[in-house]
Amino acid sequence: MSETGHLDHPEDITAFYQPVMARVITKQRLTEMMVLLRLQLDSAEPLDHNPGEFLQISLPGYGEAPISFCSSPTQTKSFELCVAAVGNLSEAMHDLRPGDFLGVRGPYGHGFPIEEMRDRDILCVAGGIGLAPLRSLIKYVADRRPEFERMVLVYGARMPDEQLFKDDLDVWDAREDFETLYTVDEPDDQWTGRTGVVTEPLREEVQINPERTTAVVVGPPVMYRFVAAELLEKGMSEENILFSLERRFKCGMGKCGHCQLNDLYVCQDGPVFRYTDLIGRSEAIEVWAPEDERE
Amino acid sequence: MARESAIPRFGHKPQVAFFDFACCEGCQLSVLQLEERLLEILEHVDVVTWREAMTEQSSEYDIAFCEGSITTEEDVERIKDIRAEAAVLVTLGSCASTSCHNELKNQWSMDEVLDVVYGDDAGQIHTIASRPISAVVEVDYQTFGCPVSLPEFVKVVSAILTGQSYEPPNEPVCVECKRNDYLCVYEKGEVCLGPVTRCGCDAICTGWGDACQGCRGLMDSANIGAMLKALTREEAHSIMRTVIDRHQLTEGEIAAKLRIYNNWPEFTLEEAETDDD
Amino acid sequence: MPTEVVMTSKAVDRFVTRLIEEGPVMGPRERRKQPGFAKFDWIESADELMLQYTTTTVPPKKAFFPPRQPLFEFELTVPPKITPLEEATPFTLVGVHTCDLAGLNMLDDAYAKEPAEAVWPAARARARIIGVDCMPDEYCFCFDTCAGREGCDLFFTPIEHGYLVEVITEAGEDMLRLSDVSRAREDDLNDARNFAAEKGQRITAGIRSSAGDFADILEEGTFEDLWREIAERCYSCGSCNTTCPTCFCFDINDEFDLGLTAGRRVRTWDSCQLQEFALVAGGHNFRRIRWQRVRHRWHRKFLYLYREFDHPYCTGCGRCSRACTADINIVDVSNEIIERARGSEQS
Repeated sequence: MSETGHLDHPEDITAFYQPVMARVITKQRLTEMMVLLRLQLDSAEPLDHNPGEFLQISLPGYGEAPISFCSSPTQTKSFELCVAAVGNLSEAMHDLRPGDFLGVRGPYGHGFPIEEMRDRDILCVAGGIGLAPLRSLIKYVADRRPEFERMVLVYGARMPDEQLFKDDLDVWDAREDFETLYTVDEPDDQWTGRTGVVTEPLREEVQINPERTTAVVVGPPVMYRFVAAELLEKGMSEENILFSLERRFKCGMGKCGHCQLNDLYVCQDGPVFRYTDLIGRSEAIEVWAPEDERE
Repeated sequence: MARESAIPRFGHKPQVAFFDFACCEGCQLSVLQLEERLLEILEHVDVVTWREAMTEQSSEYDIAFCEGSITTEEDVERIKDIRAEAAVLVTLGSCASTSCHNELKNQWSMDEVLDVVYGDDAGQIHTIASRPISAVVEVDYQTFGCPVSLPEFVKVVSAILTGQSYEPPNEPVCVECKRNDYLCVYEKGEVCLGPVTRCGCDAICTGWGDACQGCRGLMDSANIGAMLKALTREEAHSIMRTVIDRHQLTEGEIAAKLRIYNNWPEFTLEEAETDDD
Repeated sequence: MPTEVVMTSKAVDRFVTRLIEEGPVMGPRERRKQPGFAKFDWIESADELMLQYTTTTVPPKKAFFPPRQPLFEFELTVPPKITPLEEATPFTLVGVHTCDLAGLNMLDDAYAKEPAEAVWPAARARARIIGVDCMPDEYCFCFDTCAGREGCDLFFTPIEHGYLVEVITEAGEDMLRLSDVSRAREDDLNDARNFAAEKGQRITAGIRSSAGDFADILEEGTFEDLWREIAERCYSCGSCNTTCPTCFCFDINDEFDLGLTAGRRVRTWDSCQLQEFALVAGGHNFRRIRWQRVRHRWHRKFLYLYREFDHPYCTGCGRCSRACTADINIVDVSNEIIERARGSEQS
């Protein structure tokens, strides 16, 4: 995957685990659990990230955690993060207001292999809040549409109220050059779209040319192996299936050990992996059911 | 953040009350021993009820620190009342959080207990099996220790006032003992309950040269089976050989050591001896 | 200046006194309440230094990465103010055994790998290191690390009237200006050779396979039955990690001062054996079961990091076996794995 090389300068303070400050420009509530923060570095410099990479985000006193970019690098003046309220830090982040500051460190990791994906069909499969990291890629493709062939998005949310980025979903749905398939597991009275888990429209409605397609899958751990099975059924090879994994990185630099997946550091070797890279590794809970749950 | 202090959670300076149930009230005393740090905490809160420290009382409060175990029917009603008033309920020390060694009485029937302790005067006392406060009402924050571990108390106060949750650590005392570079109790030929006991005390006892007695209770994934094996194995290297030979503990004696602080609901080796989770 | 000189015991005392006058000195100091046991600590006078000691509970890596290390302080101003905690004072670390020198070198490699972190090397750059040879205890198995000199500036070997001092670096030679030394005579060199020979003889424990073969064995076999057997005895207390000179995993957390407007971000030694180490969002834990964590320890030390850095992340210091109150012995378990692998090969 692409080389980032963000620590070229030995004086880089992030090598000392120190954040630089970013300012909240806008805050938008997406769902009950999720807010979208648009941020700008205090220095106003672009972060120069690749889709699929992440930042270590912190609020002094509330800790630090990794969050993937959900904006495209083609948006240079600011960047966006989607935050789920799940702990002390993220709940405090939900209380931020425009003008407030938070600390950022990074970008870290290896994102989607954009160069390799050019001139190919892109099939994005997102489940739940997995749409957030994928949005950085989708918006990138949207902004540089001629560089890619087909763009297919299959997105499953649990309930209509939990759909993320509804405005974006509508924009993408309206584009002639995007193919979108949205589904929910538990529809409400107003829902007129597809119902069922994400693998159903993928199986029944998506035809692909497996030779020309790169599939990108992001969602809850249990989703990956079922999506992968559908993709293999469609004739895709394992190396063209990409997964983005979530782990609890403490450093982002392959040092703290928390994200080690067998011999891989998810924060450095990933978070984007080829299915091929994960098949042989027993601790990839996205590929294999946890060892204690196997027959 | 644009704020210059922590997130205001109560909208006003929170009012704090201390309450005690069945216990020695040593946890309250320990909190008083925070001295200068207590004064720093008092910058952020108003204490309105604290029998051990002041004469005034109030029936209105935001944060209730409750010490002691629930051991009578009257206790049950009183803690329910406190729960109804307090926005935040904190258990103070092991009596409140695990029932500590008050639960030793649970080995007998309540009639026997009443008879032995009070004889003919037992009539007015409605004793029940000793239990932690969380067995009766919902608890927001827990602190452990006999007496309460002050580093944990300070952490919990800081968490409450900055709107954060606090998860008691699910790690054994050994972690803190090693981080402090204390000599392992077993190296001195003694038995220590550190490997199965929830940390958070900063290994205070091993730091003073004593063994951990387990006052903070078993951690969630304590491997009791491992302790039975470790203390009774036939083949052992020199340090553990010395410990095993010197103490010659039986399974029953090991269980008795563990039961002192872990008898709620009832400590038995069969229940405890899981190899995981 | 010859590369080997002699420092008498009295001269060592004077030397250490002068080192202390120059700046802080950390070294093995006898525990005040537990005579006979040493710990690495700041030394205030030469007589506190216990140069001949058996392995300490916690390795000297704590001089560079303390178990609780504040990374920076913060104040909740607008914008929040971050103040790095820059420690600039040079210091001397005295009395490091060969296994622990090897441990420091391994941590140098680990932290220097791109993207490199800067906290460890910044601390390392402040220190001069004096190594010392030792006699093994019953838990030691220091295979190829037992004769190493890399990583120290001077190296001391006990001889009849003091120490034979090997000058390893220019910084080491520079330190000798603080001492009275004499030329090493043939007797002194013989003494030192005998010491090394006796050390070699006393080390009887060992992993009965080359590091490369052991890595292959771990990679090719599953050994799930063995991991489960070990896990039944394992407390998951993490002491094997928190006493290890080559373990470098950590956690990072914030703490407020009681004023609640300032505090610090702190990193602490962590352990892959603790149940919640591999917890991820949504409550998933990819090493939830104890035996998976036990296996991870062996795989990380003898397979993953071996492949990454070309040597196992184990120095043979024996601390993990000594610290394990379940008596899980790293040599015994490793040899059991090797035996089972060879047994299954033959059958």
